[in-house]
Amino acid sequence: MNVTVGSRLPVHEVQVDAGAMKTMAALLGDPNPIHWDTRVVAELGLGERPVNQGPLNMGYLMTMLARWAGGRDRVLDFRVRFLGNVLAGDRVRAEGTVTGLRVTGAGQVADCEVALKVIGGDTALSGTASVLVEPLRSGDHHTMTPVAVNETERER
Amino acid sequence: MSEMAPAHLALVGREFPGGQYTLEPWRAWLLADALGDDPGDTQPHPVMAWMAAVGGMGITWDELFAWFDATADDGPMFGEHQTTLHAPLQSGVTYRVSGKVTSVDRKTGRRAGTFDIVGYELCLYDGQEHVATCWNSLVLPRRRGA
Repeated sequence: MNVTVGSRLPVHEVQVDAGAMKTMAALLGDPNPIHWDTRVVAELGLGERPVNQGPLNMGYLMTMLARWAGGRDRVLDFRVRFLGNVLAGDRVRAEGTVTGLRVTGAGQVADCEVALKVIGGDTALSGTASVLVEPLRSGDHHTMTPVAVNETERER
Repeated sequence: MSEMAPAHLALVGREFPGGQYTLEPWRAWLLADALGDDPGDTQPHPVMAWMAAVGGMGITWDELFAWFDATADDGPMFGEHQTTLHAPLQSGVTYRVSGKVTSVDRKTGRRAGTFDIVGYELCLYDGQEHVATCWNSLVLPRRRGA
């Protein structure tokens, strides 16, 4: 994998679906109706569209990172700030840029800036992530210990 | 502008009851499908770490809000989130969950008014192995001056 500082990750776009929010609410046991009851959404003055769950918004960014890095187990660290809502019917774009490369006990790690943007709207999430882009040996799973992760945190 | 929230400062260090969360393959499938990702990928999606953490923290959201004399009607919001994966998640594994409140800060903004930011951390263990750490911050509006 040829990665350099400044490389842009392939964008990942998702059409946000109200049905998926219902599934997520059931999985989380989340009783907040703003995610699935449009009448309550309207009564609260939030418009007519359900509000997407924060974990789904995070998940879109993680999916982008995992696809780029070569697997879901390559995502080592992920930190975001919640800046705005994503609504049913929105189309969102997950974006990322490599800001640094490090060699750790697990292999080569890329540090990235990431953002989830509502197309035609505002940024909903922004933050940073670290992903394993080149394990020490091909096919290895990462085995980063907490100590190794802390060391890489300090290196930033 | 920032200041401490004396009324709730004593809650820093308070531990969650904790518990367990089994990363059931059907949950991983449904989550991946809801994300528009490949549900056939047997490697659990990393957002499952957060789901496992809150699923096993041992209290409900309402109970967590109540620790800080807040309710869902106050309009609590996610502030920030961090997941650190020390080892890959595995489908079918039952994780032990433990955690604690890590910070309470009071801030006042010109537009937002007074609000508290509560930081808390939840950890996943597979046996003795520390698999993941999820740190979160909750924003609790204090419109009523709680």
